Amino acid sequence: MTGKRHELIGNLRLLWKEPLLLLSIIAIFYFLFVFVISPIFLVFKTSLTIDRQFDLSNYQAVFSKRYYYQPFINSMLLGVLTASTGTLLGFVFAYAITRTPIPFKRFFRITATFPIISPPFVVALAAILLFGRSGGLTPFVEKIIGEYSIYGLGGLVLVETIAYGPIAFLVLHGVLQAIDPALEEAAMDLGASRARVFSTVTLPLAIPGIASAWLLVFIESMADFGNPMVISGNFRVLSVQAFLQITGMYDLSRGSTLAILLLFPTLTAFFLQKYWVSRKSYVTVTGKPTSATIKQLEWYIKLPVYASCILFAGVVFLFYGMVIYGSFQKLWGVDSTLTLRNYIEMYEVGKDYIFDSLALSTLATPITGILGVFIAFLIIRKKFAGRGVMEFVSMLTFAVPGTVVGIGYILAFNQRSALFPFILTGTAWIIVLLLIFRNMPVGIRAGIAALHQIDPSIEEASTDLGATSGRTFRKITLPMIAPAFFSGLAFSFVKSMTAISAIIFVVSGRWNLITVAILGFVDNSQYAQAAAMSLLLIIIVLIALGIIQMFVNRIGKGARTTSIVE
Amino acid sequence: MKRAMFFVMIVAVFVLGTFTAGQAAGKVLHIYEAFDTEEAKLYIEAFEKETGIDVEFVRMSSGEVLARVQAEAANPQASVWHAGSNTSHINASIKGLLAPYKPKTDFELTDQLHAKDWTWTGFYSGAIGFVTNTKFLKEKGVNAPTSWDDLLNPAFSKNVAMAYPYTSGTAYTTYATRIQMLDLDKALDWWEKFDKQSIHQYTKSGTGCIPMVGLGEVAVGISFSHDILAKGVNKGYPVVMTFPKEGTGYEIGGLSLIKGGPEPELGKKFIDWCFTERAQNLFQKYNRLPVNPKAKVAEGSVTLDQVKLIKYDHLWAGKNKGELIKAWRDRIGK
Amino acid sequence: MRKEYLVLKSLVKMFGSGKDAVRAVNNVDLEVKEGELVTLLGPSGCGKTTTLRMIAGFEMPSSGEILIDGEEVSTTPPNKRPTTMVFQNYALFPHLTVFQNIAYGLKIHRESSKNIRERAEGAMRLVGLEGLGDRTPHQLSGGQQQRVSLARSLVMEPKVLLLDEPLSNLDAKLRVSTRLEIRNLQQRLGITTVYVTHDQEEAMSLSDRVVIMHQGIIMQIGTPQEVYAYPVNRFVADFIGKANFLVGFIETISSDNQIVIDILGVKFQASMKPGMFTKGEKVLIVIRPESVTLEPKKPDTLVGKITEAVYLGSQMVYIVGVEKHTLIVEVANPQEHVVFKPGEEVTITFQGKNLHVLPYEEAA
Repeated sequence: MTGKRHELIGNLRLLWKEPLLLLSIIAIFYFLFVFVISPIFLVFKTSLTIDRQFDLSNYQAVFSKRYYYQPFINSMLLGVLTASTGTLLGFVFAYAITRTPIPFKRFFRITATFPIISPPFVVALAAILLFGRSGGLTPFVEKIIGEYSIYGLGGLVLVETIAYGPIAFLVLHGVLQAIDPALEEAAMDLGASRARVFSTVTLPLAIPGIASAWLLVFIESMADFGNPMVISGNFRVLSVQAFLQITGMYDLSRGSTLAILLLFPTLTAFFLQKYWVSRKSYVTVTGKPTSATIKQLEWYIKLPVYASCILFAGVVFLFYGMVIYGSFQKLWGVDSTLTLRNYIEMYEVGKDYIFDSLALSTLATPITGILGVFIAFLIIRKKFAGRGVMEFVSMLTFAVPGTVVGIGYILAFNQRSALFPFILTGTAWIIVLLLIFRNMPVGIRAGIAALHQIDPSIEEASTDLGATSGRTFRKITLPMIAPAFFSGLAFSFVKSMTAISAIIFVVSGRWNLITVAILGFVDNSQYAQAAAMSLLLIIIVLIALGIIQMFVNRIGKGARTTSIVE
Repeated sequence: MKRAMFFVMIVAVFVLGTFTAGQAAGKVLHIYEAFDTEEAKLYIEAFEKETGIDVEFVRMSSGEVLARVQAEAANPQASVWHAGSNTSHINASIKGLLAPYKPKTDFELTDQLHAKDWTWTGFYSGAIGFVTNTKFLKEKGVNAPTSWDDLLNPAFSKNVAMAYPYTSGTAYTTYATRIQMLDLDKALDWWEKFDKQSIHQYTKSGTGCIPMVGLGEVAVGISFSHDILAKGVNKGYPVVMTFPKEGTGYEIGGLSLIKGGPEPELGKKFIDWCFTERAQNLFQKYNRLPVNPKAKVAEGSVTLDQVKLIKYDHLWAGKNKGELIKAWRDRIGK
Repeated sequence: MRKEYLVLKSLVKMFGSGKDAVRAVNNVDLEVKEGELVTLLGPSGCGKTTTLRMIAGFEMPSSGEILIDGEEVSTTPPNKRPTTMVFQNYALFPHLTVFQNIAYGLKIHRESSKNIRERAEGAMRLVGLEGLGDRTPHQLSGGQQQRVSLARSLVMEPKVLLLDEPLSNLDAKLRVSTRLEIRNLQQRLGITTVYVTHDQEEAMSLSDRVVIMHQGIIMQIGTPQEVYAYPVNRFVADFIGKANFLVGFIETISSDNQIVIDILGVKFQASMKPGMFTKGEKVLIVIRPESVTLEPKKPDTLVGKITEAVYLGSQMVYIVGVEKHTLIVEVANPQEHVVFKPGEEVTITFQGKNLHVLPYEEAA
């Protein structure tokens, strides 16, 4: 018997001796198939089916009719622009924090990452409150640049840059921090000027990170649904068009086609990022943040960098401050008397939404967290056939736009199938499952990062002393990655509470979410109510993050305490 | 600490489980609702109070309801489709998604107000009108539009908003009205001009343009008169309502029993209730025109006889929606 | 006769596949007696750690068998094997105390808490950690951490104890004292032990037998004396201790296996195993630095020139060039001898009984 086969059989035998482990692996494959692969596949299949027959005419129409391919071009254009501005912004900020002696770093860091915890389309709402036809700042801006409209491509780029720039910042911050300062010092030692050090050492080493950030923001922009719904005006984008096609034209077939069209660029970007760019990284993230020696900087570097940071921080405050201000107005644009009426109304009309959002997110989040960590554990530490497939599939939902997943879920769970004999449309479960599998990549990534930092010999020691995989996972692995686990939980909760693009397809009468309600208010131009509800959502999220941070601090003994905002 | 969390989770799972289980108990009426949530609650809570029957509803635009009912045809999750212009109901009826039911009313329903096979009935109506921002009119020194061609006035250039004909019953009725006035090709010619010169943007919902006009985001909107009154004038926005003098179309609000729905008997009770004087009186709050002759009409409402109406063929509009929409999209490109 | 306790039969481990497949462990056969301490010694990449991990169960053999106390264990999962391992970086559980670390395995075997306490405390006494039970790993020094790791493995009373370069993270002095302690402990408890290291001094001082590995193959198994004095090939000779290699030719072979070898023109007598060499054959001569004697230059002798002279206190180390060869010569007690300076010419002598003759091999 050849070596490889002997090993494979040997590995299988080992698995067999731990039936619980084997069962969990099979169970996870099942879940991934039913809740990740099958819905996406169904969308694809539906795009090729008209009246139950294989039919390519959807794709023909999509490439020939302007009202289909124009949104595609628009989305791509928007994606490229946003990715570029977002990455630039993120880089400047990351550079400021890691390489300059800018004061109040903690403050700037928090400001830069704040938009991540709010539902993305709140930024669009704020933009309307500030720069819409009856916007607070509109008279001043019009004095400077004349008449303009915040609706459309310009507004969208502005809004998405603010909403997604922070993602680029996080990636680039990590990258810049991980570059060994000794390299830059060596370059200076050999006579390189600061500019030369930057262009010949810092920048080249950071390029894979920059590319990563660019691709990530690109994906987010393509998949963005909430912001375009609010502020795209006549600039039609694919995510919205797919939604309208399905809910407005009752056309699942065409809608699926548009969704698939949306899928290709995001999947491509995902693959590029994962398999090409990240391989080229020369920077090893050791998990030990080396504080780069920060030298005295010349004023012509400090000034623009500082100014940009202050500007961005100012913008963040302005936008969210406007949301707060707007929420207290009687009738936005008409009657600016301050009132609490909106909050009262919101409580009356929306308390069910609040309860539902909280209940469903609270249910989904721990499941996401544990599942994510467990899958990370399986992928990194266990050997079994199909491990690579499991890793790939569980990360897949990261790259798939919410629109596609949402449509997939209504297609998949609207009828009983051989694999899954339950109809889930209209129940809480479809929402919970959607949240779990949509956000799982977050938990898995956190788990993988944390596991990478743990010496595998510690877990081997546990096994060596007689522990089963389950015991090792529970008693050794889990406690050691606890901070990362809670980080993942926090992030999952935020994403669950602020989800919109997939959720909008599966909400029902019995279960409804805050984000959908906000969008409804915006649809009706009830901006004050939308602002009030958005604010409430942000406060809830902040409270939850605070609670989780408290947990992390309690459990912190021995392990480093990490701030979740990092 | 971990045990506690685990325990809480288990409890939560059970609680939610019982919630979803209770849903299937059968004593609750499930409705797909095309009225806005606020308005719907008015009627539904009145029904619940009067009959003691619990109602759970999902709020969607009529296009969305049609999509949902179609998707769920094998296993409908709701029993009644409440409101939304009857064109969508007609469409659903043609697709065989509705169950016939003749409501018990204390008055005669005219032919216009029900399908031949009683798969849908009409329980309110309203005419299409224009809503314009008065501040804009003062600043620009123009009058509000009183004809369809007024909309092409350069004064309103890029300043008109309405919904996509394929996502909103309101907008579709507008489109079908123009076709019935001009015939398809001429109507599309007019619309092309309209789209290029006057449109600022299309919205998703039919009433979305009204607050936009109220806020001054656009100057003119096209919507149903009852909505213009309820969401524009009565909300305190600086707007004025006008009608095209060549004639305008109107909608009939639809009500139907979904075929195979989970609570047909409760559904029928609801439908019957909608035609009662008490129920129809509630329309006053939202300026809708009742069909029950005994019901009162709100002050300031424009009744159908006060406006020039065209002979609007709902059936034709409902039947041909698919091709007409395609023609619109092909020509206008949106 | 002590029985064969740990047996490795034709053990193979391959990594990679197809043309790029690498045999990290290539047909290893080994029998370890009960109570023996055997060291797997070799340069990095020789397969010693992989072999150890296969015994522990962390690697699955590509083929071959592993028997412990008569039982075939290669299909047994690592947590069920009667082995425990001391890891190179100790692998202590950072979130557990010293006591909890040591008690960990006992808890799994569901010992009573009284039993656990007794045995754990016993283990701590054994390695000299009394009183430190409540500390956590990061509060301990490197040497203390190493002992915890040892205690944790010993307390399980394994049939085979495995140690993976346990001393490499300690400083030199500590390394020496700790290895003596480990050896004493092992002999006292009589545990069959497999030890892995790349440090040949360590191997020599600890082991009952040494297994020298190179590129996945066992080069030689023997007691420290055997492998030092009688290396079977150039690699082993070079790896263990320092070695000088010279080329010689077999001049005569007598009937009682005495041979005369011509080395650089000088004749030496030595003995050989029957049939090992033929007349005229080119052979490799191994001679240890301490076996070479230097004297001031005398006529008619093998003469070389000193190229370097290093004074190390307890010995002088000379690098001597002889024709095309370079010899390392160590002279102990330099005060008792003539000290040579670089550039001087010296007479080189060594005795036949200090030579070790091997079939000729080119340098690797």
